[in-house]
Amino acid sequence: MISSAQYLAQDSEPWINTDTFINLFWANTIGGLEYGSIYALVALGYTLVYGVLKLLNFAHSEVFIYGAYATWFTFFLLGFRPGPTPELPVGELIAYLVLAVIVAMLVSGTTALVLERVAYRPLRNRGAPRLAFLITAIGASLILQQILFLWRGSNPEQAIRLLRPETLFNVGSASVQNLTVIIVVASVLMWIVADTFVNRTRFGRGIRAVAQDPDTAMLMGVNKERIIMLTFVVGGLLAGAAAVFYMMKIPQGAQYNGGFLLGLKAFAAAVLGGIGNLRGALLGGLLLGIIENHGQALFGGEWRDVVAFVVLVLVLMFRPTGILGESLGKARV
Amino acid sequence: MTLLELDSVSVHYGRIRAVHNLSLTVEEGEVVALIGANGAGKTTTMRAISGIRPVSSGRILFDGQDITRMKGEKRVELGIAQSPEGRRIFPGMTVLENLDMGAYARKDKAGIAEDMERVFELFPRLAERKDQYGGTMSGGEQQMLAIGRALMARPKLLLLDEPSMGLAPQYIQQIFRIITEINQQGTTVLLVEQNAQQALARAHRAYVLETGSIVKSGTGKELLADPAVKEAYLGVG
Ligand SMILES: Nc1ncnc2c1ncn2[C@@H]1O[C@H](COP(=O)(O)OP(=O)(O)OP(=O)(O)O)[C@@H](O)[C@H]1O
Ligand SMILES: [Mg+2]
Repeated sequence: MISSAQYLAQDSEPWINTDTFINLFWANTIGGLEYGSIYALVALGYTLVYGVLKLLNFAHSEVFIYGAYATWFTFFLLGFRPGPTPELPVGELIAYLVLAVIVAMLVSGTTALVLERVAYRPLRNRGAPRLAFLITAIGASLILQQILFLWRGSNPEQAIRLLRPETLFNVGSASVQNLTVIIVVASVLMWIVADTFVNRTRFGRGIRAVAQDPDTAMLMGVNKERIIMLTFVVGGLLAGAAAVFYMMKIPQGAQYNGGFLLGLKAFAAAVLGGIGNLRGALLGGLLLGIIENHGQALFGGEWRDVVAFVVLVLVLMFRPTGILGESLGKARV
Repeated sequence: MTLLELDSVSVHYGRIRAVHNLSLTVEEGEVVALIGANGAGKTTTMRAISGIRPVSSGRILFDGQDITRMKGEKRVELGIAQSPEGRRIFPGMTVLENLDMGAYARKDKAGIAEDMERVFELFPRLAERKDQYGGTMSGGEQQMLAIGRALMARPKLLLLDEPSMGLAPQYIQQIFRIITEINQQGTTVLLVEQNAQQALARAHRAYVLETGSIVKSGTGKELLADPAVKEAYLGVG
């Protein structure tokens, strides 16, 4: 005779997989940092534009995915094809990757600039209400997707791999690969450059001034339109770099609607850390990456995205302005 | 020489007319006061001069140049700086960064450093608080910072919108003394004040604004002695 509790325990999978969580703790934490640093770079674009215009730039996910296509085409035009990873001298490999980063940054930066000029600036000149901007942002996002769809179809571009995976060292039970180190280190470096730019340069001060008080910024001689343009471009450049890292991690990632979920996560990361806050974007991105990996281990793969957003909602219930608060506007970023 | 001239300027907020056919001049080297009751249109006039609010008719001339349609940020380069109503300090910037913002349009590093020294001489309090965030400064300190920030543009024309607002009496005295000092060092000043007594005593000339139009003008002394002004703005009579 067995009790019903024992019966349940015997027959069904445990609802919470603490074993998997513990076994994969280090692997998931490291993998989470890897994803998280990509989220963080994309989140910076949402946060900067939100800080300056109080606009949720939904089309930022497409600014990102254009960078992913730019990466794929750079590899393709360099002569690489889908199939086995080629054997490349390190110097050559680095040169190709740097080239891809430059091209993707240019493409994403330009996309962001065109988006600002064509979609948002006309609305600003007419003094359109906030809602019009939001609808336009969603519309622009769909249009940018459809352009890719018409041009390249609905299938993802076939994976082109340049980097051979290699284990560099171990942390706990997990091995750390070359790709992970490249992505995390390069992303954090990019974030430092962005943070320094915003906090230490004249243009950065202009960005913060417009974010804090646009009229008074004008009284100081700040050209608001130029600052807005610059903000979109900086967000685009960062998204372009993120796209290259993303394509190294997920080589089949160039798909017309492939920016949607990642954009949503990056946006969630920005809100989690405190939208309008550069440090918040970094913290939110890394946390979200780690949380969703552990969530997946605990509750199963189908819960991955759910866990990320449940955590977001929970944090917002207790801290409506995110973990670090909204600070491009209020305190120092 | 006339530095600033407003020629029948009207300004609207939507369909509300806040300023109507307003004409005034400010000569180089003067302190000119603009007084009037709440809602008379003083701040609106200042915003129009700085280009934050577009004019619906009339012309604004600065240094002989028509700036009616010029963008606000360009007017700063020409030499118009404003310490706006309510101070409008950047809350998330330090005192030093706020002062740097005042010099945003300038490129002459040496001159900027000089002016920073000058601002710290005028307001020693700011020198003690260089790294404090603007948003955490007291009202009086913020007022000093707002004036200092405007001076950092090394303007030809300094617009001050209620610089004494919310200040304790000893600070009000100090602010007015500093306004005179700034003027003696060569900056032309257009001053909006609720504190009409002080403003008229310090100003070379003044205008009285009522519901968007100038109703009276004269030297500061004349207006101080004017019975109607006394009754309406000086709380006597
Ligand atoms: N943003 C706005 N929208 C609509 N009306 C406005 C706006 N700003 C000011 N007004 C109106 O314009 C008129 C003039 O306002 P303004 O701020 O210029 O007055 P003021 O003389 O500076 O008054 P105070 O002494 O109270 O500062 C007022 O009737 C005011 O209600
Ligand atoms: Mg006013």
